[in-house]
Amino acid sequence: MSKVKVLVVDDEIEFATTLAERLNIRGFETTACFCTEDALALIHAKNIPDVVLLDLKMPRMDGMETLEEIKKYNPTIEVIMLTGHGGGIPLVGADRKKFSPFDCIMKPADINELTLKINQAMAKRQASLNKGEGT
Amino acid sequence: MINKPGWIKRIFSGVEDYHRTMTSPERYRRFRRTLTLVMIATFLIPLILTTMLSYYTYRSQMLNNLRWNAESATKTIEAFLSELQTVLAYTVNEHTYKELIDQDNLNKVYHRLKSHYPGVVDLGIIDHKGIQRAYAGPYELLGKDYSDRECFTGATASKIFIGIVEMGYRKVPHFAIAISFFNQDAGQNWVFRSSIDATTLDKYIDKIGAGPTSDIFLVSRKVKPLLQSTSQQYGPPLSPYPFELPHNSLGITISEERGVWDYVVLKAVSYIEGTPWALVLLKHGYLYGKDWSFFKARLFFIVMISTVLALLVILQITKLFVGRIREADEKRESMMAEIEHTSKLASIGRLAAGIAHEINNPLAIISAKTGLIMDLLEFSEDFKYKKKIGSEINGTSNAVERCKVITHRLLGFARRMDVSLESIDINSLMREVLSFLDQEALYRGIHVDLDLGDSLPIIESDRGQLQQIFLNLVNNAIDAIGKDGKVIIKTRQRDQSSLQIDVMDNGKGISQDIISHIFEPFFTTKDSGEKKGTGLGLFITYGIIKKLGGHISVRSTVGVGTTFTVILPIKTNLSRRVHDVESKSTGS
Repeated sequence: MSKVKVLVVDDEIEFATTLAERLNIRGFETTACFCTEDALALIHAKNIPDVVLLDLKMPRMDGMETLEEIKKYNPTIEVIMLTGHGGGIPLVGADRKKFSPFDCIMKPADINELTLKINQAMAKRQASLNKGEGT
Repeated sequence: MINKPGWIKRIFSGVEDYHRTMTSPERYRRFRRTLTLVMIATFLIPLILTTMLSYYTYRSQMLNNLRWNAESATKTIEAFLSELQTVLAYTVNEHTYKELIDQDNLNKVYHRLKSHYPGVVDLGIIDHKGIQRAYAGPYELLGKDYSDRECFTGATASKIFIGIVEMGYRKVPHFAIAISFFNQDAGQNWVFRSSIDATTLDKYIDKIGAGPTSDIFLVSRKVKPLLQSTSQQYGPPLSPYPFELPHNSLGITISEERGVWDYVVLKAVSYIEGTPWALVLLKHGYLYGKDWSFFKARLFFIVMISTVLALLVILQITKLFVGRIREADEKRESMMAEIEHTSKLASIGRLAAGIAHEINNPLAIISAKTGLIMDLLEFSEDFKYKKKIGSEINGTSNAVERCKVITHRLLGFARRMDVSLESIDINSLMREVLSFLDQEALYRGIHVDLDLGDSLPIIESDRGQLQQIFLNLVNNAIDAIGKDGKVIIKTRQRDQSSLQIDVMDNGKGISQDIISHIFEPFFTTKDSGEKKGTGLGLFITYGIIKKLGGHISVRSTVGVGTTFTVILPIKTNLSRRVHDVESKSTGS
């Protein structure tokens, strides 16, 4: 069975790289991007991750917009939002509700909780792929 | 504020000071005192002026009456004497000396006069030597020598003479009217003399009738005056009158005199023209009489009753007025304090949430890094300090975990909460809350008493948040007791629109210097033992209660216990509040 591909998107480089490393240790194939533009470029270049760990608050394009872009491109990619803010996910307007993340985890996240969520997200993606959704 | 004149500001400086300083009992006492004095002065000054005016009006009226009576009496006496003089002069003019010296003729004249003027005692004709040549009357006075008598010398000098009342030869009080004539036949002056009974004067004076409280009489114009008519106070004619007469002989002189019983009487003296007399009118009861007593008593009672009533009203009004001002000030101050407190908490809350957010990112890095080290340690072979490093990193992770708890709770306070309204029976909610804490209470030997009000209305609120509030409060109560004690939870309907829930404990209590800070964030007294406080429990509780439209207050006595009182609205415009919260929190 191939490794689960995880993309960590966070403008905090130290956080993103360390988290990626920890996930790699746990058997995931993790890539870290430090801005949303790089992450989207990577996805558009057909490097489709199974699960994206996406920081909610980032410069230029925030997590919610990125989520929208990702979901529009491939709705089977599961996105787990990471937030350092207590406000949860600001659901504004019906469109945003359409592109909801798999889950939202508060920083600093427990690694076991995070791996559990990634695996659950992967299972969901797998189920979607089996149904024939996405590309 | 209305611009008040300077003097009003100075009088009420106590109130003006209020705007600069806090309220204090002394300030209100001073204000009340000033207000009372100002109101009393405002009332009493016109009252005293009116009283004085009434007094002087009354006195002036008395004086005018007296003057009028004296004038009228004087005119009556003058008219009587003038008439008598005219009649006597006419009688003499109608007869010659020879006719009058004839005893029969004189007797006829005497009887005619006597029939018209009963007061005429006798008539006499005195020759130029002062010897009475003819006499008509009841006494034997023919040949009497009048040469050294005033009636003779006076009449010779000034034609008509009226004498003072005397006993003379007749031994009864009388006065003489003497008219001198020139006898052309003999070339000498002679005098026609008539004696008038002094009681005639009494009769005339009685007719004047100056009133029952008056004494009116004539006195002689001497240094030591004698009564010329009967006085009620000083006795019959020729009794001494113990006062000197005024020097001013013109008009009426009014003065006060101390009477026989040491009473002050009002006195009017008027000199009667062409006579040796002065009319004295004494008004008794001027200061001590019935009229005056009545007037004085009436004035006194009016003033006293008005003053007492005014004092009562003024005291009540000032008490009420100052009380209301004080109440309003205190209410305003407490509202200001509450607004200040709420706003302080809100801004601290927002600030804390902002800081928590910013701290979360570096915290996440520390957490990730320590996690990675742990991972690396786990997958690496044994080396000298592996265990030690592992334990240190574990310590770091625990510290990060504690920070995480704090930041998450702070963020929980500030974040937008989806308030879901539902119908809640507060009593069953309290039972639910207690079910979470039963074991803890049992373990610590704390008895939890539920005093739940009957048939309380169902309230509309957020169940989860209410649970959080009461879990926190009961938990605090248990912590305050420590071991072996009692917690009482009391619910009741406060009024038509709210419920009141009291959480009471008999724990150690909170001192006054601490109690004002307990709703502030990061304020905790649980700094020892295994259960360290974050200092956010009551801060968050306060925020939630405010958001739900309620109110929380605390009363505590050190060593006795603490009572937290939560007031919750039965129905609240929560949708609006939620909307407000949302609109503030979105966009971050």
